[in-house]
Amino acid sequence: MKTMKYLPLKALAVLAIAIGFALPGKAQTLGNYYANIDWQFNFPLGNDFVKKGSGWGMNFEGGYYVTDNLSVGAFLAYHSNHKYIPRQTLQISGTESLNTDQQHTLFQMPFGVSGRYTFNREGMFQPYFSLKLGPQYGRLKTDFNAYQNSDNTWGFYVSPEIGMNIFPWVYRPGIHVAAYYSYATNKGNLMTYDVDGMSNFGLRLGVAF
Amino acid sequence: MKKLIPFLLAVFVFTACEKDADTDNLDNKFVVYTNYDKAANFKQFNTYYLPDSILIIGDKDKQEYWSDANAQKIIDTYVFNMDNRGYTRVTEREEADLGLQLSYVKNTYVYTDYGYPEWWWGYPGYWDVPYWGNWGGGWYYPYVVNYSFSTGSFLTELLNLEAAQGQNEKLPIIWSAYMSGMLSSSTEVNVELAAQAVSQAFSQSTYLTNK
Repeated sequence: MKTMKYLPLKALAVLAIAIGFALPGKAQTLGNYYANIDWQFNFPLGNDFVKKGSGWGMNFEGGYYVTDNLSVGAFLAYHSNHKYIPRQTLQISGTESLNTDQQHTLFQMPFGVSGRYTFNREGMFQPYFSLKLGPQYGRLKTDFNAYQNSDNTWGFYVSPEIGMNIFPWVYRPGIHVAAYYSYATNKGNLMTYDVDGMSNFGLRLGVAF
Repeated sequence: MKKLIPFLLAVFVFTACEKDADTDNLDNKFVVYTNYDKAANFKQFNTYYLPDSILIIGDKDKQEYWSDANAQKIIDTYVFNMDNRGYTRVTEREEADLGLQLSYVKNTYVYTDYGYPEWWWGYPGYWDVPYWGNWGGGWYYPYVVNYSFSTGSFLTELLNLEAAQGQNEKLPIIWSAYMSGMLSSSTEVNVELAAQAVSQAFSQSTYLTNK
């Protein structure tokens, strides 16, 4: 009986998705232009300076379809990740020692150009994959007691992304979801920490125009 | 190029979007920085002289010392740690192998030139070298120091009183400790934090022993 009870719901879900893909384009107010504004959750990878994920970031992107499916555009994103480092004694040189606890901040701000290939542009669900390239500004910062040290750094940024624009209503905006990986060549050092490259995995949720 | 200006301005604006870390998580104990002369043989010394007061670096142009019960608690912590490391406190400066001078930065009002790390050496009455002996060349650090400074900081300098004296000779500082932090509104808490920091300075300076 349970199977019978849930079967119609599953069927309805499948039907809704199928209809979504089959539905004609509803929101043509921007023509061949598109834009996304997102909140993002970012997880730094392979980085001892900051490992903890956070939701302190945004992503802005806009572009133009040069063919039915291929678009080019520009983007800017920024994110802050933090990590508390318990009190420890750092050997900051051959004879210098520093005892303190710390709050680390890793701020990343990539911007540049993007290329996107979108499927089913006329449908309710418009999945895509994209690649973003450009420079990345990064800042390593540590707060300890009343003090602060930081190191500014620039690198080259590359980020593959998969996502989907969803337009469930007649008018825009719709919903945007995405997952990305990014790597930047930024290098920096602060106190006893050396960072050589910045990798991230992240999720985005926002609005699609 | 002009078209780039709004874009660069936008980038500048977005850098202000950095989310500062929550510093409420910090333990608020003192930051403790130590440095020493790698060439010094700390085992060659046996005795030390420690004045019963802490010099206050404040907004006055004359010497001011801190010697009440709170100061004594901090000084006693130095004595405890120096004794633990095998050194003996003596009451006559001339008999001491080492000298310890303690200072507290009450504020930085007097100073206009921070161009060199040991800026407080210029403070009026700051542990005049003749207080310790005949070193006409003044003090010097045989190592590079990277102090920052702020109100509420404690400075500790350990002097090698066995160094050769003379008009052209300098008095070497073979160990230094800098302890600093946000002060609470409670004097008792601040003194306790300072005493903890003094012990920490010794803990992270394992070479400072004659054993």
